[in-house]
Amino acid sequence: MNDLARAVWERRSQQATRIVDAHAHAGPYSVFFIPEPDPGPMIRVMDRCGVSHAVFSSHLAIQLDAAAGNAATAAIVAEAPDRFTGYITVNPWQDPLAELGKWGDDPRFGGIKLHPDLHEYPLNGSRYAPVWELAELTGCPVLTHTFAGSPYNDMPMLDEVAERHPGATILAGHSGVTPLGIDQAIEVAERRPGVILEVCGSHNSGADIARMVRRVGADRVVYGSDFPFIDLRMSLGRVLFADLTDNERAAVLGGTISGLLEWR
Amino acid sequence: MAEARPILIDADAMLGRHPRRDVGGGTVDELLAALDRVGIAEAVVGNMTAWLHDPHRGNAQLLDLVKDQPRLHPCWVMLPDSCGELGADFAEEAVAKGVRAVRAFPRDHGYHLAGADAAVVLHALARVRLPLLVDAPQVDWPTMETIARAHPALRIVVGAAGYRMLRQIAGAMERNVNVHLGTADLSSHCGLEWLVARFGAGRIVFGTGQPYRDPAEAVTRLLWSELGDADVATIGRGIV
Repeated sequence: MNDLARAVWERRSQQATRIVDAHAHAGPYSVFFIPEPDPGPMIRVMDRCGVSHAVFSSHLAIQLDAAAGNAATAAIVAEAPDRFTGYITVNPWQDPLAELGKWGDDPRFGGIKLHPDLHEYPLNGSRYAPVWELAELTGCPVLTHTFAGSPYNDMPMLDEVAERHPGATILAGHSGVTPLGIDQAIEVAERRPGVILEVCGSHNSGADIARMVRRVGADRVVYGSDFPFIDLRMSLGRVLFADLTDNERAAVLGGTISGLLEWR
Repeated sequence: MAEARPILIDADAMLGRHPRRDVGGGTVDELLAALDRVGIAEAVVGNMTAWLHDPHRGNAQLLDLVKDQPRLHPCWVMLPDSCGELGADFAEEAVAKGVRAVRAFPRDHGYHLAGADAAVVLHALARVRLPLLVDAPQVDWPTMETIARAHPALRIVVGAAGYRMLRQIAGAMERNVNVHLGTADLSSHCGLEWLVARFGAGRIVFGTGQPYRDPAEAVTRLLWSELGDADVATIGRGIV
Protein backbone atom coordinates (compact mmCIF):
# COMPACT_ATOMS: atom_id res chain seq x y z
CA MET A 1 0.00 0.00 0.00
CA ASN A 2 1.43 3.40 -0.95
CA ASP A 3 1.83 6.28 1.54
CA LEU A 4 -1.41 7.97 0.53
CA ALA A 5 -3.52 4.83 0.70
CA ARG A 6 -1.95 4.12 4.08
CA ALA A 7 -3.07 7.56 5.26
CA VAL A 8 -6.62 6.66 4.25
CA TRP A 9 -6.48 3.47 6.29
CA GLU A 10 -4.94 5.28 9.25
CA ARG A 11 -7.72 7.88 8.96
CA ARG A 12 -5.24 10.77 8.93
CA SER A 13 -4.80 13.60 6.45
CA GLN A 14 -2.13 12.80 3.90
CA GLN A 15 0.93 15.06 3.76
CA ALA A 16 3.10 13.18 1.27
CA THR A 17 1.88 14.85 -1.92
CA ARG A 18 0.64 18.29 -2.92
CA ILE A 19 -2.86 17.51 -4.18
CA VAL A 20 -4.53 20.06 -6.45
CA ASP A 21 -8.12 19.45 -7.50
CA ALA A 22 -8.44 20.58 -11.12
CA HIS A 23 -12.24 20.38 -11.30
CA ALA A 24 -14.28 21.89 -8.51
CA HIS A 25 -17.28 24.15 -8.00
CA ALA A 26 -18.80 26.01 -5.04
CA GLY A 27 -22.21 26.91 -3.75
CA PRO A 28 -25.73 25.48 -3.99
CA TYR A 29 -27.24 23.86 -7.09
CA SER A 30 -31.00 23.78 -7.53
CA VAL A 31 -31.33 20.36 -9.15
CA PHE A 32 -30.44 18.48 -5.97
CA PHE A 33 -29.65 19.11 -2.31
CA ILE A 34 -25.98 19.50 -1.40
CA PRO A 35 -25.17 19.54 2.32
CA GLU A 36 -22.66 22.28 3.11
CA PRO A 37 -21.91 23.47 -0.43
CA ASP A 38 -20.02 26.62 0.55
CA PRO A 39 -16.26 27.32 0.58
CA GLY A 40 -15.76 26.99 4.34
CA PRO A 41 -16.92 23.36 4.52
CA MET A 42 -15.11 22.69 1.25
CA ILE A 43 -11.83 23.75 2.87
CA ARG A 44 -12.67 21.61 5.89
CA VAL A 45 -13.04 18.55 3.64
CA MET A 46 -9.83 19.43 1.79
CA ASP A 47 -8.01 19.61 5.13
CA ARG A 48 -9.53 16.33 6.26
CA CYS A 49 -7.93 14.59 3.30
CA GLY A 50 -4.84 16.70 2.67
CA VAL A 51 -5.91 18.47 -0.51
CA SER A 52 -3.93 21.68 -0.82
CA HIS A 53 -5.73 23.57 -3.53
CA ALA A 54 -8.78 23.49 -5.81
CA VAL A 55 -9.46 25.14 -9.14
CA PHE A 56 -13.16 25.88 -9.38
CA SER A 57 -16.07 27.64 -11.03
CA SER A 58 -19.04 28.67 -8.91
CA HIS A 59 -22.30 26.81 -9.43
CA LEU A 60 -23.93 30.19 -9.91
CA ALA A 61 -21.66 30.82 -12.88
CA ILE A 62 -22.26 27.53 -14.67
CA GLN A 63 -25.94 27.16 -13.79
CA LEU A 64 -27.46 30.63 -14.09
CA ASP A 65 -25.42 33.77 -14.55
CA ALA A 66 -21.82 33.85 -15.73
CA ALA A 67 -21.24 37.49 -14.77
CA ALA A 68 -22.60 37.18 -11.22
CA GLY A 69 -21.05 33.75 -10.86
CA ASN A 70 -17.59 34.84 -11.99
CA ALA A 71 -17.77 37.69 -9.49
CA ALA A 72 -18.68 35.14 -6.81
CA THR A 73 -15.74 32.97 -7.87
CA ALA A 74 -13.37 35.95 -7.65
CA ALA A 75 -14.67 36.82 -4.18
CA ILE A 76 -14.12 33.27 -2.92
CA VAL A 77 -10.55 33.24 -4.23
CA ALA A 78 -9.90 36.62 -2.63
CA GLU A 79 -10.91 35.14 0.75
CA ALA A 80 -8.62 32.11 0.43
CA PRO A 81 -6.06 32.62 -2.35
CA ASP A 82 -3.80 29.89 -1.02
CA ARG A 83 -6.60 27.32 -1.32
CA PHE A 84 -8.51 28.32 -4.44
CA THR A 85 -7.96 29.44 -8.02
CA GLY A 86 -10.90 30.33 -10.24
CA TYR A 87 -12.04 29.31 -13.68
CA ILE A 88 -13.69 32.06 -15.71
CA THR A 89 -17.00 30.54 -16.76
CA VAL A 90 -17.94 31.40 -20.32
CA ASN A 91 -21.61 30.96 -21.16
CA PRO A 92 -21.90 31.39 -24.94
CA TRP A 93 -25.30 33.04 -24.49
CA GLN A 94 -24.03 35.58 -21.95
CA ASP A 95 -21.48 37.80 -23.65
CA PRO A 96 -18.25 35.75 -23.67
CA LEU A 97 -16.13 38.73 -24.70
CA ALA A 98 -17.30 40.74 -21.71
CA GLU A 99 -16.42 37.98 -19.24
CA LEU A 100 -13.01 37.31 -20.79
CA GLY A 101 -12.34 41.03 -20.92
CA LYS A 102 -13.33 41.61 -17.32
CA TRP A 103 -11.47 38.68 -15.75
CA GLY A 104 -8.83 37.60 -18.28
CA ASP A 105 -6.02 39.55 -16.62
CA ASP A 106 -7.17 38.89 -13.07
CA PRO A 107 -4.68 36.61 -11.28
CA ARG A 108 -7.47 35.07 -9.21
CA PHE A 109 -8.37 33.11 -12.33
CA GLY A 110 -6.17 30.40 -13.78
CA GLY A 111 -8.32 28.96 -16.53
CA ILE A 112 -11.59 29.03 -18.42
CA LYS A 113 -14.60 26.77 -17.80
CA LEU A 114 -17.06 25.69 -20.51
CA HIS A 115 -20.21 23.63 -19.90
CA PRO A 116 -21.79 23.00 -23.30
CA ASP A 117 -24.36 20.51 -21.94
CA LEU A 118 -25.73 22.94 -19.35
CA HIS A 119 -25.77 25.84 -21.80
CA GLU A 120 -27.15 23.72 -24.66
CA TYR A 121 -24.54 25.02 -27.06
CA PRO A 122 -22.05 22.85 -28.96
CA LEU A 123 -18.38 22.84 -28.01
CA ASN A 124 -17.47 23.47 -31.65
CA GLY A 125 -19.86 26.42 -31.98
CA SER A 126 -18.66 29.84 -33.13
CA ARG A 127 -19.72 31.64 -29.95
CA TYR A 128 -16.75 29.98 -28.23
CA ALA A 129 -14.27 31.54 -30.72
CA PRO A 130 -12.94 34.17 -28.27
CA VAL A 131 -12.15 31.40 -25.78
CA TRP A 132 -9.98 29.48 -28.23
CA GLU A 133 -8.31 32.68 -29.41
CA LEU A 134 -7.35 33.61 -25.85
CA ALA A 135 -6.28 30.06 -25.02
CA GLU A 136 -3.96 29.82 -28.03
CA LEU A 137 -2.56 33.30 -27.48
CA THR A 138 -1.82 32.96 -23.77
CA GLY A 139 -1.68 29.27 -22.84
CA CYS A 140 -4.63 29.70 -20.48
CA PRO A 141 -6.08 26.18 -20.00
CA VAL A 142 -9.72 25.52 -20.85
CA LEU A 143 -11.71 22.97 -18.85
CA THR A 144 -14.73 21.76 -20.77
CA HIS A 145 -17.43 19.36 -19.67
CA THR A 146 -17.49 16.26 -21.88
CA PHE A 147 -20.00 13.40 -22.06
CA ALA A 148 -20.06 10.60 -24.62
CA GLY A 149 -23.14 10.75 -26.80
CA SER A 150 -24.07 14.30 -25.87
CA PRO A 151 -25.23 16.59 -28.70
CA TYR A 152 -23.15 19.37 -27.17
CA ASN A 153 -19.83 17.92 -25.91
CA ASP A 154 -19.30 14.50 -27.40
CA MET A 155 -15.78 13.19 -28.01
CA PRO A 156 -15.78 13.90 -31.77
CA MET A 157 -16.49 17.54 -30.98
CA LEU A 158 -13.56 17.61 -28.57
CA ASP A 159 -11.43 16.07 -31.29
CA GLU A 160 -12.54 18.67 -33.82
CA VAL A 161 -11.89 21.61 -31.52
CA ALA A 162 -8.48 20.27 -30.50
CA GLU A 163 -7.54 19.77 -34.15
CA ARG A 164 -8.71 23.25 -35.07
CA HIS A 165 -6.87 24.87 -32.14
CA PRO A 166 -3.63 22.91 -31.68
CA GLY A 167 -2.14 25.60 -29.48
CA ALA A 168 -4.92 25.39 -26.90
CA THR A 169 -4.63 23.35 -23.71
CA ILE A 170 -7.99 21.64 -23.29
CA LEU A 171 -8.87 19.74 -20.14
CA ALA A 172 -11.44 17.11 -21.07
CA GLY A 173 -13.65 17.26 -17.97
CA HIS A 174 -14.77 13.77 -16.88
CA SER A 175 -12.94 12.28 -19.88
CA GLY A 176 -16.26 11.43 -21.51
CA VAL A 177 -17.82 10.01 -18.28
CA THR A 178 -18.95 6.55 -19.51
CA PRO A 179 -16.78 3.50 -20.22
CA LEU A 180 -17.14 4.22 -23.94
CA GLY A 181 -16.47 7.91 -23.38
CA ILE A 182 -13.28 7.15 -21.45
CA ASP A 183 -12.02 4.97 -24.30
CA GLN A 184 -12.80 7.69 -26.81
CA ALA A 185 -11.25 10.42 -24.67
CA ILE A 186 -7.99 8.47 -24.48
CA GLU A 187 -8.00 8.08 -28.26
CA VAL A 188 -8.58 11.81 -28.75
CA ALA A 189 -5.77 12.62 -26.32
CA GLU A 190 -3.43 10.30 -28.21
CA ARG A 191 -4.20 12.19 -31.43
CA ARG A 192 -4.25 15.73 -29.98
CA PRO A 193 -1.31 16.76 -27.78
CA GLY A 194 -3.25 19.71 -26.36
CA VAL A 195 -5.87 17.50 -24.75
CA ILE A 196 -5.46 16.71 -21.04
CA LEU A 197 -7.60 14.00 -19.43
CA GLU A 198 -9.41 15.08 -16.26
CA VAL A 199 -10.67 12.11 -14.28
CA CYS A 200 -13.75 12.93 -12.18
CA GLY A 201 -17.12 11.39 -12.98
CA SER A 202 -19.44 8.69 -11.77
CA HIS A 203 -18.08 5.86 -13.92
CA ASN A 204 -14.31 6.25 -13.79
CA SER A 205 -12.04 3.79 -11.98
CA GLY A 206 -8.46 3.42 -10.85
CA ALA A 207 -7.93 0.88 -13.63
CA ASP A 208 -9.07 3.42 -16.22
CA ILE A 209 -6.86 6.12 -14.72
CA ALA A 210 -3.86 3.79 -14.83
CA ARG A 211 -4.71 3.03 -18.46
CA MET A 212 -4.86 6.75 -19.24
CA VAL A 213 -1.41 7.24 -17.74
CA ARG A 214 0.01 4.31 -19.69
CA ARG A 215 -1.43 5.58 -22.95
CA VAL A 216 -0.77 9.34 -22.79
CA GLY A 217 1.56 9.85 -19.80
CA ALA A 218 1.05 11.26 -16.33
CA ASP A 219 1.78 14.74 -17.64
CA ARG A 220 -1.50 14.54 -19.58
CA VAL A 221 -3.78 13.28 -16.79
CA VAL A 222 -5.13 15.42 -13.92
CA TYR A 223 -7.12 14.68 -10.79
CA GLY A 224 -10.41 16.50 -10.39
CA SER A 225 -13.33 15.77 -8.09
CA ASP A 226 -16.28 17.93 -9.20
CA PHE A 227 -16.87 18.72 -5.52
CA PRO A 228 -19.23 19.85 -4.05
CA PHE A 229 -21.33 18.59 -6.97
CA ILE A 230 -19.97 15.14 -6.06
CA ASP A 231 -18.03 14.35 -2.91
CA LEU A 232 -14.30 15.00 -3.33
CA ARG A 233 -13.31 11.62 -1.91
CA MET A 234 -14.95 9.50 -4.62
CA SER A 235 -12.55 10.48 -7.41
CA LEU A 236 -9.63 10.93 -5.04
CA GLY A 237 -9.90 7.34 -3.77
CA ARG A 238 -9.64 5.97 -7.29
CA VAL A 239 -6.33 7.77 -7.83
CA LEU A 240 -4.92 6.92 -4.41
CA PHE A 241 -5.38 3.17 -4.86
CA ALA A 242 -4.67 3.01 -8.62
CA ASP A 243 -1.79 0.99 -10.00
CA LEU A 244 0.56 3.95 -10.53
CA THR A 245 4.13 4.66 -9.51
CA ASP A 246 4.63 7.29 -6.81
CA ASN A 247 5.84 9.78 -9.41
CA GLU A 248 2.89 9.12 -11.70
CA ARG A 249 0.43 9.47 -8.83
CA ALA A 250 2.02 12.74 -7.71
CA ALA A 251 1.78 14.11 -11.24
CA VAL A 252 -1.88 13.14 -11.61
CA LEU A 253 -2.78 14.44 -8.17
CA GLY A 254 -1.21 17.84 -8.56
CA GLY A 255 2.02 18.14 -10.49
CA THR A 256 0.49 18.24 -13.93
CA ILE A 257 -2.24 20.79 -13.20
CA SER A 258 0.18 22.97 -11.24
CA GLY A 259 2.37 23.23 -14.32
CA LEU A 260 -0.60 24.06 -16.54
CA LEU A 261 -1.61 26.90 -14.22
CA GLU A 262 1.75 28.62 -14.66
CA TRP A 263 0.85 30.24 -17.97
CA ARG A 264 0.71 33.86 -16.85
CA MET B 1 -6.68 8.76 14.63
CA ALA B 2 -7.76 5.13 14.86
CA GLU B 3 -6.18 2.72 17.32
CA ALA B 4 -7.38 -0.36 15.45
CA ARG B 5 -8.29 -0.50 11.81
CA PRO B 6 -12.00 -1.04 11.16
CA ILE B 7 -13.08 -4.28 9.55
CA LEU B 8 -14.81 -3.58 6.27
CA ILE B 9 -17.30 -6.10 4.90
CA ASP B 10 -18.55 -5.24 1.46
CA ALA B 11 -22.30 -5.85 1.19
CA ASP B 12 -22.42 -4.97 -2.49
CA ALA B 13 -20.07 -6.99 -4.69
CA MET B 14 -20.47 -9.23 -7.72
CA LEU B 15 -18.68 -12.07 -9.43
CA GLY B 16 -18.69 -12.45 -13.19
CA ARG B 17 -18.05 -10.41 -16.29
CA HIS B 18 -20.07 -7.32 -17.17
CA PRO B 19 -21.44 -6.94 -20.70
CA ARG B 20 -21.06 -3.16 -20.89
CA ARG B 21 -17.75 -2.55 -19.16
CA ASP B 22 -14.35 -4.25 -19.01
CA VAL B 23 -14.22 -5.44 -15.41
CA GLY B 24 -11.86 -8.31 -16.11
CA GLY B 25 -12.86 -11.92 -15.80
CA GLY B 26 -14.94 -11.51 -12.67
CA THR B 27 -13.32 -14.53 -11.05
CA VAL B 28 -13.07 -15.34 -7.37
CA ASP B 29 -9.31 -14.76 -7.50
CA GLU B 30 -9.79 -11.35 -9.09
CA LEU B 31 -12.36 -10.35 -6.49
CA LEU B 32 -10.11 -11.45 -3.63
CA ALA B 33 -7.23 -9.47 -5.15
CA ALA B 34 -9.50 -6.43 -5.44
CA LEU B 35 -10.49 -6.77 -1.78
CA ASP B 36 -6.84 -7.00 -0.77
CA ARG B 37 -5.85 -4.00 -2.91
CA VAL B 38 -8.08 -1.69 -0.88
CA GLY B 39 -8.06 -3.57 2.44
CA ILE B 40 -11.60 -5.02 2.56
CA ALA B 41 -11.87 -8.10 4.76
CA GLU B 42 -14.93 -9.90 3.37
CA ALA B 43 -17.71 -9.47 0.87
CA VAL B 44 -21.31 -10.48 0.31
CA VAL B 45 -21.31 -11.33 -3.38
CA GLY B 46 -23.91 -11.79 -6.04
CA ASN B 47 -23.45 -13.34 -9.44
CA MET B 48 -23.70 -11.42 -12.71
CA THR B 49 -25.27 -14.53 -14.24
CA ALA B 50 -28.15 -14.31 -11.80
CA TRP B 51 -28.62 -10.61 -12.58
CA LEU B 52 -27.98 -10.46 -16.31
CA HIS B 53 -28.79 -13.93 -17.65
CA ASP B 54 -30.60 -16.52 -15.54
CA PRO B 55 -31.38 -16.04 -11.84
CA HIS B 56 -31.95 -19.75 -11.22
CA ARG B 57 -28.69 -20.86 -12.80
CA GLY B 58 -26.75 -17.90 -11.43
CA ASN B 59 -27.86 -18.50 -7.85
CA ALA B 60 -26.84 -22.16 -8.09
CA GLN B 61 -23.47 -21.31 -9.68
CA LEU B 62 -22.76 -18.79 -6.97
CA LEU B 63 -22.89 -21.39 -4.23
CA ASP B 64 -20.23 -23.40 -6.04
CA LEU B 65 -18.06 -20.35 -6.62
CA VAL B 66 -17.91 -19.32 -2.96
CA LYS B 67 -18.17 -22.70 -1.21
CA ASP B 68 -14.48 -22.81 -0.22
CA GLN B 69 -14.08 -19.07 0.24
CA PRO B 70 -14.46 -18.01 3.87
CA ARG B 71 -14.21 -14.33 2.92
CA LEU B 72 -17.05 -14.47 0.41
CA HIS B 73 -20.71 -14.86 1.38
CA PRO B 74 -23.42 -15.58 -1.18
CA CYS B 75 -26.21 -13.17 -2.11
CA TRP B 76 -29.02 -14.58 -4.24
CA VAL B 77 -31.25 -12.81 -6.72
CA MET B 78 -35.02 -13.05 -6.13
CA LEU B 79 -37.91 -13.22 -8.54
CA PRO B 80 -41.62 -13.32 -7.86
CA ASP B 81 -42.76 -16.93 -7.96
CA SER B 82 -45.54 -16.31 -10.48
CA CYS B 83 -43.79 -18.52 -13.06
CA GLY B 84 -42.30 -20.97 -10.60
CA GLU B 85 -38.71 -20.09 -11.54
CA LEU B 86 -37.03 -20.10 -8.14
CA GLY B 87 -39.46 -22.19 -6.12
CA ALA B 88 -42.00 -21.39 -3.45
CA ASP B 89 -39.45 -22.08 -0.69
CA PHE B 90 -36.88 -19.65 -2.06
CA ALA B 91 -36.29 -17.84 1.23
CA GLU B 92 -36.05 -20.97 3.35
CA GLU B 93 -33.73 -22.60 0.82
CA ALA B 94 -31.53 -19.51 0.81
CA VAL B 95 -31.11 -19.63 4.56
CA ALA B 96 -30.42 -23.35 4.49
CA LYS B 97 -27.65 -22.81 1.95
CA GLY B 98 -25.93 -20.01 3.82
CA VAL B 99 -27.14 -17.10 1.71
CA ARG B 100 -26.64 -13.82 3.60
CA ALA B 101 -28.76 -11.43 1.55
CA VAL B 102 -31.05 -11.27 -1.47
CA ARG B 103 -31.00 -8.79 -4.32
CA ALA B 104 -33.93 -7.62 -6.42
CA PHE B 105 -33.72 -6.21 -9.95
CA PRO B 106 -37.38 -5.42 -10.66
CA ARG B 107 -36.64 -3.06 -13.55
CA ASP B 108 -34.21 -5.41 -15.28
CA HIS B 109 -36.31 -8.51 -14.57
CA GLY B 110 -39.65 -7.03 -15.52
CA TYR B 111 -41.83 -7.20 -12.42
CA HIS B 112 -43.34 -4.81 -9.89
CA LEU B 113 -41.55 -4.95 -6.55
CA ALA B 114 -44.66 -3.63 -4.75
CA GLY B 115 -46.98 -6.01 -6.60
CA ALA B 116 -48.81 -8.99 -5.18
CA ASP B 117 -46.44 -11.57 -6.70
CA ALA B 118 -43.28 -10.09 -5.20
CA ALA B 119 -45.06 -9.53 -1.88
CA VAL B 120 -45.08 -13.24 -1.18
CA VAL B 121 -41.30 -13.43 -1.54
CA LEU B 122 -40.69 -10.23 0.44
CA HIS B 123 -42.87 -11.53 3.24
CA ALA B 124 -40.84 -14.74 3.32
CA LEU B 125 -37.54 -12.82 3.34
CA ALA B 126 -38.72 -10.79 6.31
CA ARG B 127 -39.77 -13.98 8.09
CA VAL B 128 -36.32 -15.55 7.70
CA ARG B 129 -34.60 -12.21 8.38
CA LEU B 130 -32.70 -11.97 5.11
CA PRO B 131 -31.95 -8.38 4.06
CA LEU B 132 -33.09 -7.17 0.65
CA LEU B 133 -30.61 -5.22 -1.49
CA VAL B 134 -32.03 -3.00 -4.24
CA ASP B 135 -30.16 -0.47 -6.34
CA ALA B 136 -31.90 2.89 -6.59
CA PRO B 137 -32.12 2.83 -10.40
CA GLN B 138 -34.17 -0.38 -10.15
CA VAL B 139 -37.16 1.14 -8.38
CA ASP B 140 -38.61 4.56 -7.57
CA TRP B 141 -38.72 5.86 -4.01
CA PRO B 142 -42.52 5.73 -3.61
CA THR B 143 -42.34 2.01 -4.47
CA MET B 144 -39.50 1.57 -2.01
CA GLU B 145 -41.64 3.16 0.69
CA THR B 146 -44.62 1.02 -0.21
CA ILE B 147 -42.70 -2.21 0.32
CA ALA B 148 -41.03 -0.83 3.46
CA ARG B 149 -44.46 -0.12 4.98
CA ALA B 150 -45.93 -3.41 3.81
CA HIS B 151 -43.01 -5.40 5.25
CA PRO B 152 -41.82 -3.53 8.34
CA ALA B 153 -39.63 -6.44 9.46
CA LEU B 154 -37.81 -6.50 6.13
CA ARG B 155 -34.40 -4.81 6.21
CA ILE B 156 -34.06 -2.96 2.90
CA VAL B 157 -30.68 -1.65 1.76
CA VAL B 158 -30.76 0.78 -1.17
CA GLY B 159 -27.53 1.01 -3.14
CA ALA B 160 -26.24 3.17 -5.99
CA ALA B 161 -28.00 6.25 -4.66
CA GLY B 162 -25.64 8.62 -6.49
CA TYR B 163 -25.52 12.29 -5.59
CA ARG B 164 -28.87 13.64 -6.76
CA MET B 165 -31.37 11.89 -4.47
CA LEU B 166 -31.09 13.29 -0.94
CA ARG B 167 -34.43 15.09 -1.21
CA GLN B 168 -36.13 11.74 -1.81
CA ILE B 169 -33.90 9.66 0.44
CA ALA B 170 -34.32 11.81 3.54
CA GLY B 171 -38.11 11.57 3.67
CA ALA B 172 -38.14 7.86 2.92
CA MET B 173 -35.62 7.14 5.67
CA GLU B 174 -37.43 9.40 8.12
CA ARG B 175 -40.72 7.58 7.61
CA ASN B 176 -39.36 4.03 7.35
CA VAL B 177 -36.85 2.80 9.89
CA ASN B 178 -36.29 -0.40 7.90
CA VAL B 179 -34.87 1.53 4.93
CA HIS B 180 -31.07 1.66 4.91
CA LEU B 181 -28.57 3.09 2.45
CA GLY B 182 -25.57 1.37 0.94
CA THR B 183 -22.36 3.33 0.40
CA ALA B 184 -21.71 2.23 -3.19
CA ASP B 185 -21.83 5.47 -5.17
CA LEU B 186 -23.33 7.30 -2.19
CA SER B 187 -21.62 10.40 -3.44
CA SER B 188 -23.35 13.60 -2.28
CA HIS B 189 -20.77 16.08 -0.99
CA CYS B 190 -20.72 15.61 2.80
CA GLY B 191 -23.82 13.44 2.34
CA LEU B 192 -22.55 10.52 4.39
CA GLU B 193 -21.99 12.70 7.44
CA TRP B 194 -25.33 14.46 6.90
CA LEU B 195 -27.19 11.14 6.77
CA VAL B 196 -25.46 9.72 9.83
CA ALA B 197 -26.24 12.89 11.80
CA ARG B 198 -29.95 12.54 10.92
CA PHE B 199 -30.47 8.80 11.02
CA GLY B 200 -27.47 7.24 12.77
CA ALA B 201 -24.69 5.04 11.48
CA GLY B 202 -26.87 1.98 11.87
CA ARG B 203 -28.87 3.05 8.82
CA ILE B 204 -25.82 3.03 6.53
CA VAL B 205 -24.29 -0.17 5.15
CA PHE B 206 -20.81 -0.39 3.66
CA GLY B 207 -20.84 -1.57 0.05
CA THR B 208 -18.69 -0.87 -2.97
CA GLY B 209 -20.59 -1.87 -6.10
CA GLN B 210 -17.52 -3.69 -7.39
CA PRO B 211 -16.44 -4.71 -9.91
CA TYR B 212 -18.46 -2.19 -11.96
CA ARG B 213 -17.46 0.47 -9.45
CA ASP B 214 -13.95 0.92 -8.10
CA PRO B 215 -14.05 -0.21 -4.45
CA ALA B 216 -11.47 2.48 -3.63
CA GLU B 217 -14.31 5.03 -3.84
CA ALA B 218 -16.33 3.61 -0.96
CA VAL B 219 -13.27 2.76 1.13
CA THR B 220 -11.84 6.27 0.83
CA ARG B 221 -15.20 7.94 1.32
CA LEU B 222 -15.84 6.06 4.57
CA LEU B 223 -12.36 6.05 6.11
CA TRP B 224 -11.67 9.69 5.22
CA SER B 225 -15.11 10.76 6.37
CA GLU B 226 -15.56 13.14 9.28
CA LEU B 227 -17.31 10.38 11.24
CA GLY B 228 -15.92 8.99 14.47
CA ASP B 229 -14.29 5.58 14.60
CA ALA B 230 -17.33 3.95 16.23
CA ASP B 231 -19.63 5.08 13.42
CA VAL B 232 -17.11 3.96 10.79
CA ALA B 233 -16.93 0.55 12.45
CA THR B 234 -20.72 0.27 12.54
CA ILE B 235 -21.04 1.12 8.86
CA GLY B 236 -18.07 -1.02 7.90
CA ARG B 237 -19.58 -4.17 9.35
CA GLY B 238 -22.17 -4.12 6.59
CA ILE B 239 -24.94 -6.69 6.79
CA VAL B 240 -23.03 -9.77 7.91
